[in-house]
Amino acid sequence: MGVFDYSREALENLKIDDPGILDRLVDFENARAVHLNKNRSKKDKRISLKEAVAEFVQDGDVVLDTGFGYVRTCIQSHFEIMRQGKKDLQMIGAPNTNQSYMIVTGSVRYSHNSYTGAEMRGTDRNYTRQLKAGKVRILSEWSHGGIAQGLKAAQLGSPGLLSKQMLGSDIVKYNPYLKVIQNPLKKESDPSLFIPALYPDVTFIHAQAADKYGNAYIYGPTVNDLAGAAASRKVVITAEEIVPEMDIRCNKKGSIIPFFYADAVVELPYGALPGSMPGYYYWPRQWWEKLMRFSAINEENIGKFIDEWVFGTKDQIEFIEKLGGAKWMIEARRQTKAAEGDNEDVDFSYQEYTINNDPGIFY
Amino acid sequence: MKNDAPANPLEILAYIISAQIKDHTIVYVGTGLPMVAGILARKTHAPNITMVYESGGQDPIQGGMPWSVGGPFTWRKSPVVMEMAYSFGQCYNGYVDIAFLGFAQVDRYGNVNTHMIGDDFHQPKARLTGSGGNNDLTSLTENMVLVGLQTPEKFPEKVDFITSVGHLRGGNTRKEAGLPGNGPVAVISQCGVFDFEPKTKKMRVKTLHPGMTLDIAQMCTGFELLKPEGEIPLTPMPTPDIIEILRREVDPRGVFTSLPSA
Repeated sequence: MGVFDYSREALENLKIDDPGILDRLVDFENARAVHLNKNRSKKDKRISLKEAVAEFVQDGDVVLDTGFGYVRTCIQSHFEIMRQGKKDLQMIGAPNTNQSYMIVTGSVRYSHNSYTGAEMRGTDRNYTRQLKAGKVRILSEWSHGGIAQGLKAAQLGSPGLLSKQMLGSDIVKYNPYLKVIQNPLKKESDPSLFIPALYPDVTFIHAQAADKYGNAYIYGPTVNDLAGAAASRKVVITAEEIVPEMDIRCNKKGSIIPFFYADAVVELPYGALPGSMPGYYYWPRQWWEKLMRFSAINEENIGKFIDEWVFGTKDQIEFIEKLGGAKWMIEARRQTKAAEGDNEDVDFSYQEYTINNDPGIFY
Repeated sequence: MKNDAPANPLEILAYIISAQIKDHTIVYVGTGLPMVAGILARKTHAPNITMVYESGGQDPIQGGMPWSVGGPFTWRKSPVVMEMAYSFGQCYNGYVDIAFLGFAQVDRYGNVNTHMIGDDFHQPKARLTGSGGNNDLTSLTENMVLVGLQTPEKFPEKVDFITSVGHLRGGNTRKEAGLPGNGPVAVISQCGVFDFEPKTKKMRVKTLHPGMTLDIAQMCTGFELLKPEGEIPLTPMPTPDIIEILRREVDPRGVFTSLPSA
């Protein structure tokens, strides 16, 4: 018998026989002990991405997807996790779009699901297929806001919080962590949802800049990353640029993740590719359109796609070459600057990838 | 060059959505048609609205049409970009007046499914995205407007998975489940605009688009639609002026308002 009293209805609905698999995500005592044991010294934590993945990702870990699906998301780190053959990971995130292709290679086997897809690019048929084939088990269903609140509760130093989200929905019936309780201060009936604080095992966060100690600067939407960094047992900061500590102290007036959360720092320009990076590069839009409209539709296509883009590249530099090299870099920077209001007269019309028309370019 | 072509169905939808927006309100918008509608509202009858997005972007200055809800146009020069937990928190705290969302299925009580099609969670006919922010907005926002195509499959008697509670089982059941706000106040489709009868909270025809009949709307629905008393009014259509603003200033490249060519 475990220490947590999970919702029995949800365990049954999800067909989870061994609830022990759910424990790490909510095991506060263990997360606190790990945090207390971290090296506090302000030392140079820079290592390579290969080293960071090898050292800090263990098979079976609960991995937090960061950024916003494909905005400032640590996708090159996901690719390295796949290249190193890490397996049986649990993926959580709001959204968790990127788990889908990681399931194909066995890196991700369990999902704490909130949103898997790429908005208007269409339904992710790969995810349906993997689910039916039993290659992924859903351990819990969430709304975006529910995961946001669970991570925020951890950052606030709280066992959990009462929410007004997900009440009455079927999500509650497919999430063993959630409990509907009465608001204890109200005399009248006032159902509220207890969401426990969430503690992922390992979190990669891609920042615009970081110093070598791990103080990391984020520009644009931080989404859940400030909370995720505080909650996670292990934190790897990857950054477009490594800057002097004084630059963070004096110039970076925005969202900062403090250095003591960070276990490692990786200098990783273009580490969000094929996602976008505020201030640095726009999406290679056709990449996502091809993934959703062509590659995701059957097992052969997705296998080829992963072979080409993940195993066929050894790092983000080879990835850029495949996107079009310097030409792509220039276009992607122009587009993102213009979209953010820092550049004039950029035409955002582009040749979309459709099943009948592969433009062969990525800007 | 002036484009005098009559409004196409997407342009009409954008206008109908925009008509739901009142001036001096805070509007939570998704990308696609709701964003087009929000900008159209601001350029016509509601110049003082504040638009907010799930990226956390608040009150961006207008740019192009975003490719993603997390894209730069949703937080372009925003004074503040909120963390996700806070951006939904503002709905609960009463700082959002209206929100717009799509659906894969909606039932007669406005309950929404974006999870799966089929009756077996483990072997669905199709697995869909999951909630994303759909549940959060539908649970918390004062007034929710649902937008989508109307077919008997998409408007079934019972949704295959309740992702987001609208009026749950009707009557007072939304409130009894602990949820705040009015829940869904309107459903907008290619057939018409629907509201929910105040007592039973069953979906009711409010207006029909020109050329639509109650019979056609009913044929597009998997449950029995309630009819209002008296004659069913026609949905007001955009004037040529509004169509011109839409084409010239809001979505000049027709990213979301041009029909796919055959």
